[in-house]
Amino acid sequence: MAKFVVTSNAISLNGSDISANCARAELALTAAEVDVTDFGSSGWTEVIGGLKSGTVSLDFHSDFGSGAVSALFQDLIGTIGTVTLIAGNGTAASATTPQYTAEVLINSFTPIAGSVGDLSTFTVSFPTTGEVSYGTA
Amino acid sequence: MASITNIRSALATNLGTVSGLRTSAEVPDNPSPPIAMVNFDSIEYHSAFNNALNTLQFTVSVIVGRAAEREAQRRLDAYVSPTGSQSVKAGVESDRTLSGECQDLICTGVNSIGSIVINDQTYLAAEFQVTVYA
Repeated sequence: MAKFVVTSNAISLNGSDISANCARAELALTAAEVDVTDFGSSGWTEVIGGLKSGTVSLDFHSDFGSGAVSALFQDLIGTIGTVTLIAGNGTAASATTPQYTAEVLINSFTPIAGSVGDLSTFTVSFPTTGEVSYGTA
Repeated sequence: MASITNIRSALATNLGTVSGLRTSAEVPDNPSPPIAMVNFDSIEYHSAFNNALNTLQFTVSVIVGRAAEREAQRRLDAYVSPTGSQSVKAGVESDRTLSGECQDLICTGVNSIGSIVINDQTYLAAEFQVTVYA
C-alpha cells in the first residue's frame, strides 16, 4: 500500500450505501486523559488513558429522492444507527482497506442548508456508542 | 455520469425553448444570428465518493446580430433578462435535470456582454455561465 488520494471511501448507514452522496468522511477515535500526577511525578504532569470514544463526521449532498440520503436521515433522528466506513478507497475490507464499524447516536440532521446558487449540502457529526470495531477481512 | 456530448445536446434542447433563437450544441463555423451556442469549459471531478458527482462548467454564447444594429441591442436585452419567453437563463433552466442527463444545473450569470468578431464581422454577443452537476 502506498500513499493515496481519497476518491471513494465506502460509507453505509444501516446497510444502505450512501457513498454516492458523501463528499467527506471522518472517524475520530479518542481516549480520555486521566491525570495521575502526584508528588512522585518530578514536576511533570502524568496521564493515563481513560474511556475511549469516537465521532463520525460526514458531509453529504442533499437528496430527497425515495430512499435517498436526506430521506434516510429524516426517519433516524434519535436512534442508534450502524455506520461502516471502508478506508483507502476500498470497496471491501482488506488489510490495506480496513473497515470500521460503529454504532452511532443519530442526534442531529440539517435537512435544509445552503445559500442561493449553491449545491445543497449538509454535514452530520455523530458520537459513537460502544466499541468501534476494526476489520481487515 | 452521462456523456458530455449528451449534456451539450440537452442544453441546446433547453435553449430551444427560447423564443426566436437558433441553437447549436457546438460552435458552428459560420453562426447565423440570433443563435445560442454551447461551449464546454471545464470539469471538476470527485465532488463525491465513487465518482458519483462531477461539476461541469459551460458557457452559452448568444450572438444576436451585427453590433451596430439597434435591433440587436434590444434583442440582447430580452435574452439577458432573467425571466420572459426570450430569457436565455429561463431557457437553460427550463429542464434542470436535462431529461435525466444530470443531477441539477444552474445558470449563474452573464459575465461578458460585448462585441465579438467572427469571419471579419463584428457581432453583439453575451456569454452565460452554466454549472451542471452530473
